[in-house]
This record gives sequence, C-alpha cells and structure tokens, in this order.
Amino acid sequence: MAARLRAFFPYLIALILWEVAGQLDLVASGALPAPSEIWARFWLDRADYPRHVWATLQASGAGFVLGNAIAVLAGLLFVLLPATARVARGLNIAIFALPPIAIAPILALTLEGMTPRIVLAALGVYFVTMQATVTGLSQFDSRTADLVRAYGGTRASVLRFVQLRGALPAILSGFRVAAPNAVLGAILAEFGGGGRWGLGAYLLGSLGRGEPARLWGIGLTATLIAGLSYAVFAAISARVMGASRAVTLNPAAAPSATGAPGGLWLGLASLILPFLVWWGFLVALRVPDMLGKTPWDVFHYLFLADGAAQAQGRLLAALAETLPITGLGLAAGLSVAFALSVSSHLSPGFTRAFLPFALVTQTMPLVALTPLLVLILGRGTAVTLWITISVTFFPAYVMITQGLAQVPRAALELPRAYGASPWRELRLVAIPASVPWVFAAIRTTVPRALLGVMIAEWLATGRGLGNLLNQSRGYMDFSMIWTVAVVSVLLSVGFYQMAQGVERMVLRRMGGA
Amino acid sequence: MTAPAGIALSGLCKTFASHGQKVEALRDVSLNCPAGSFTALIGPSGCGKSTILRAALGLEPLDSGRVEIGGQAPQAATRAGVTGVAFQDAALLPWRTVAQNIALPLEVLGRAVGPEQGRIRDLIALVGLQGRETALPGELSGGMRQRVAIARALVSAPQVLFLDEPFGALDQILRRQMNIELQRIWAETGVTTLLVTHGIDEAVFLADRVAIMQAGPGRIVEVVEIPFARPRAASLFSDPEFHHQCDHIAGVLHGG
Ligand SMILES: Nc1ncnc2c1ncn2[C@@H]1O[C@H](COP(=O)(O)OP(=O)(O)OP(=O)(O)O)[C@@H](O)[C@H]1O
Ligand SMILES: [Mg+2]
Repeated sequence: MAARLRAFFPYLIALILWEVAGQLDLVASGALPAPSEIWARFWLDRADYPRHVWATLQASGAGFVLGNAIAVLAGLLFVLLPATARVARGLNIAIFALPPIAIAPILALTLEGMTPRIVLAALGVYFVTMQATVTGLSQFDSRTADLVRAYGGTRASVLRFVQLRGALPAILSGFRVAAPNAVLGAILAEFGGGGRWGLGAYLLGSLGRGEPARLWGIGLTATLIAGLSYAVFAAISARVMGASRAVTLNPAAAPSATGAPGGLWLGLASLILPFLVWWGFLVALRVPDMLGKTPWDVFHYLFLADGAAQAQGRLLAALAETLPITGLGLAAGLSVAFALSVSSHLSPGFTRAFLPFALVTQTMPLVALTPLLVLILGRGTAVTLWITISVTFFPAYVMITQGLAQVPRAALELPRAYGASPWRELRLVAIPASVPWVFAAIRTTVPRALLGVMIAEWLATGRGLGNLLNQSRGYMDFSMIWTVAVVSVLLSVGFYQMAQGVERMVLRRMGGA
Repeated sequence: MTAPAGIALSGLCKTFASHGQKVEALRDVSLNCPAGSFTALIGPSGCGKSTILRAALGLEPLDSGRVEIGGQAPQAATRAGVTGVAFQDAALLPWRTVAQNIALPLEVLGRAVGPEQGRIRDLIALVGLQGRETALPGELSGGMRQRVAIARALVSAPQVLFLDEPFGALDQILRRQMNIELQRIWAETGVTTLLVTHGIDEAVFLADRVAIMQAGPGRIVEVVEIPFARPRAASLFSDPEFHHQCDHIAGVLHGG
C-alpha cells in the first residue's frame, strides 16, 4: 500500500509545482495556467464539452475501425502475395507521408459531412497497423512452420496455425500506436476543415480569445481520450504478449521492410500507382478543376507556366529553411527514444513513472499544443525542435522497446547466467537483437519528423514549407497547396528510401538479411 | 491401421550456400528402412542428420536424389498423415496449451480433434505430464517440452515416425524409461522408425540397424546390424555383447 502511494508521488509533486507556477504566472507571464484555473474554466464550459467530445469520438472511432480493417487486410494480402506489396509500396509510403495538415482543407472541400474527419483518422491509422501486420505475419517461428508443413500443411495452414495468432501481439501493438493517431487525425480534420462540433472545431473557435485555460482544457480532454485509447490496447496486448513469447531463440525471419525492391516493372508500377490514385480520386469525386490539381497540373505549374520560375524560387527558399531543422529534429527525437528504451529496459520502474508523461506529450494534439508552446518557447528554432522531437520519439520508443522486449527469455538469460551486468547483457543480446526494430523505427519516424517541422512552421515560426502552405491557403493559391503537399510527400518518400538503404547495408554487414 | 510403410532414400545430395560459403551437408546418402523396421542414425554434430530428416519429409529441397515413403513422394505421404515427426527443437506454439499443442497435427491434417481426446490424454500420461494438460510451453522445463513434442509425434497414429534427438533434454533415468516405452509403442504399432540420436547405447538398444555418419561432406560410412532379440529388457544395457556393439560403433565414429 505504501509502495503504491509512493508511486503517485512524482505526479503529486509535478501537479503541485504546476499549480504554484500557474498561480504565480511564472511561465511566460501566464501562458501556463494553474490546474485549478483550468479546472474552473472547464467547469464553466462543461455544457459545451459533451457534444464536441461525442463528435470527435464518432469520427475517430469510425476512422479507427475503417483504417485498421483495411490495414490488416492489406497486410495479409502483402504477405500472401509479395508482388502486391511491391506494387503498393509507393502508395503505402505516400499515405504514410501525407501531411494531414495539407490535405485536411482539400478533403473538406471535396468530401461531405463527417467523411473528411473519418478519412483523415483512417489515414493516420492505416500505415502503422499495416506495417505491424506485415511484420507480425513475417516474424513467425520457422520451426513451428516446418512442423505444420511436415504434416502436409499448406501455405494456408501455416498462416492459420502459426502466423495469424503469432502476429496478434504485433497487430495489437500497432493498434496501440494507431489509436491516438485516429483521435489526432480527427481533431486535425475538425481544426482544418470547418464544421461546428468536435474538439478541433472547439479549439479553432477558442483560439482567438486569449483564454489559455480553455485551450488547455480542450487539449487535456483530447489528450485524455487519446491516452485512454492507447491504454486499452496496451492492456490487451500485455495480456496476449505474456502467453506467446517464444521460449527459445527464433532462428528465422526479422522484420523486413515492406516489400523488397522487385523487378523493374513492379518498381515502375509502384511509382505510378500513387499518381493514378491521386488522379482517380479527382475524377471519381468530380472535383472542380479550380480546386483539384492533377499531377500534370502540378508539373505544369512548377515548370511550364508563366510564373514557374517564381514558384520554384519560393519552393526552394522554403526547402532550404525546412530541411536542416528536420534532420536535426529527427536525430534528436531518435536519440531520446533510444535512451528511453534502454533505460526502461534497465529499470522498469523508470518506465512506469515516465510513460504517462510521455503519453501526455504524445497525445496532446499538436494544433492545441503549438500555440501554448509558442507562448512558452517563443517563435524560434527551439519550438520547432521541441515539436519535432515530440512527434518522433514516441513511435520510435514503442518500436525499440518492443524489439528489446521480444528478445526470448533464454537468449536474455544466457549472459546473465555468466554474471553479466545489465548493461553488458543489453550490449551483448538485447541491442543486436533489436537492431531490425531500431531501423524500422528510423524508417517510420522520418516522415513524421518532416510533418512535425511543417506543423511548427505553419503554426509558430512562419518559415519554410509549412508557412508556404499556410500562405497559399490564405491566398487560395490551390496550385501551390497541391505543390507543397506533393513535394512534402516526395521528400518523405526520399528520406524513407534513404533510411531503408542504410538499413539494408547494416543488416547485410551484420549477416542478418 | 494400414500396413506400415517403409522409407527409401537414394542418392541424396545437398549443399547449403550462405554468406558466400558452401557447406556440403549431404553427399550421395542412401538409406533403406524396410516397413516396420527401427533404424538409428548416429554421427557427429553438424554431419547432416537433421538435414536427412527434413529432406525425408520434403521440407528441404534437394540438389539431387529421391525420397520415397511407402512408395509415395514425401509431400503426398505427409499430406496423407502417414508420417509423424518430433524435431530437434520442441517447436511448440507458445500460445497453445500442452493438450492443444499435441492436437496440432490432427488439426493440420484436417481430422476431428474431439474423438481423439482420450488418445491425447493417454499420450500425455505416457510422457508423464498428467496434470499439466493446460500448461503453456513457457511454463514447462526443456525436458517437459521435449516430451510434449514426442506425444505430438505419436498423436496422428503414424506409420512412419521421424524422431530427431527426442530424448536429448531428458535425464538418464527418464531417458531409459522413454526408450523402453518407445520400443513398446514401436512393437505394438509396427511403425517404421528413423531415430536420430547422439546416444550410442540408446541407438544399440532400440534399433535393428544403426547407420553411422561422418561429416565434411555428410555421408553414411557404415550400417551396423544389431542382432539382439526382441523385446529387449533394461538388463540389456549391462550385457557384455551390448558393450561390444557400442564400442564398435564408437570406433567407427572416431574414424577408426
Ligand atoms: N538452412 C541452412 N543453411 C545453411 N547451412 C545449413 C542449414 N541447415 C543446416 N546447415 C548446415 O548443414 C550441416 C548439417 O546440419 P544438420 O542440422 O543436418 O546437422 P546435424 O547432424 O543434425 O547436427 P546436430 O547433431 O548438431 O543436430 C551443418 O554444417 C549446418 O551448418
Ligand atoms: Mg540436428
């Protein structure tokens, strides 16, 4: 009992410090209101919340179910028919790298009612779960698969008896990361897409009022929803993991990147498919020419039209500002993630104390967090870095930790049996065994880093690609909106490919792949 | 049960290539196990014993050579439920209980598990795991997991049994007990058995014939006929003639 109480101590102290700082207006002259002030404001606004919360829950719930259903089916398809994975590769990466902030207005103009919110929530969920499904399904114990085949089992029986159930922990951990994403996607769409109800809409309506306490109230409510959704799947996956950890080291299969580069034709198809989908989307929904730009329109705008040189100049200037800070933020975010994973592996108590704080920074919608951070950190480089770290470190942390946790007991205990210290044990077994996951983490956080920088630029610093997007929105310069969206996707894909190239090289040197 | 099937391996060749290195695991391996016979395969670690077993089950693509089980190609035989196997690693599904793991071959073969519950219970008792039916593999010791794998190999009432070091993780006393149980099952069912083992005494005690392998390249260097009458009792282990056989095999293994 006493130990339980002591576990709450750090939170109590943090809360008291926050209260004091808020009451005395210590942080940026009142940008950080005290918890009691936030609560008082929340109580005054209590009649507003239910409808907003309900709208957000509906959109994110529908998006979560839809996105995950598609993701699991797609993952299955990709594993069963590797050729489809290669063809869909470009599309997958493009979906992953799609900056929600850039397409929210486009979706709001082209789709109706709740649909843009559901679509954005589903898009936020798809890639994480799809990749988790592929990883989980390809990461089975080859010996048990041999056993099934030794009784005449077909590909389908291996899938049924070994792979599906074996993939469950990975899929659930995908859901766990995806759940807050759905909430954030829905809120972002509410924020960028108009509409009356939803926490994002509420936030947008409250932004101009100079009411930090209400912004915090909304932000914390959103955080609570996202955090609870994470906690539910964390609990489920902890239960499933307990039973299914392999007893000895699985000699085969490490998670591989989605779809190896295949033949020339598959590669070409993979390049063309995203553009086909883009074009098909415009045609199918009969988007007016003024709003919807085809791939050709964007090319024309950037290279052939009258103002092409000027458009290029603005784009390049923006890129020169965005790229360096993205690299820096990414490196910082990954370092934080790795340090955290390692320390939580060495001392689980630390994780228990730290994780809730991490979750708060993670699930706080950026659009709500950024205005508050600006008040505290100013509009300089610091705010961009902070935001970039906060969007990258958590998914990386989850992945690397999962890698460390999946090291089979027997392998982990071997160095311990020789009296190895925890640090040595980590260096000998856990780190090498989790290398594939570290690289998977790098691959998946690269596009997020760019997204974080763009959101910071949009809402805070007024520089770079994010700002260009925001300005173009203001001027109704639809060509530039599309151009920035496309360029940011292409950049993300480029970074992703680079990370994967390095991954392959290192794995080959380690004798893994 | 239908008449037991035999195993015919002829001219198996297999070279593994990985990381630019070539390992000639099998060179021209031929072995004929008549229906109902008991053959032991013995040889130094890494000489290709497991590879032979995997090839016989159609799991390892061969460079050349032929495998026939009861006159059928291995894939056809396994699909028909002719074979049973216990691999060197227990290879249990970590989320299935002991009883469910034992039932796995039945499910893969598309047979009903319900009517076989009694048989599964008997097999669990046979390997001494009564009371642990609902335990998960992670809760068992290495030897217990291996015993689950043995029970699983027998559950489909196979006509041909492949056992790869099935008793490796058991203590000497339990090992002897299991040897005698295995002999009884073999005598009762007439199942053609190919047993890979590192234990010379185990091989001599159980087998009609012991095939001795050498490594680099993996090949069978001698097949020794074991003449002792059946059923063989535990007292055979202290018989001078038994030791004579063991010494001969040890000599061949050491390259004598
Ligand atoms: N998948 C594989 N890839 C590369 N080499 C392999 C593979 N499987 C087996 N080998 C090699 O083939 C040789 C024979 O291996 P095998 O597992 O058949 O040996 P074994 O006789 O069963 O040894 P042990 O008694 O230790 O189980 C070894 O040199 C091994 O390194
Ligand atoms: Mg072996």
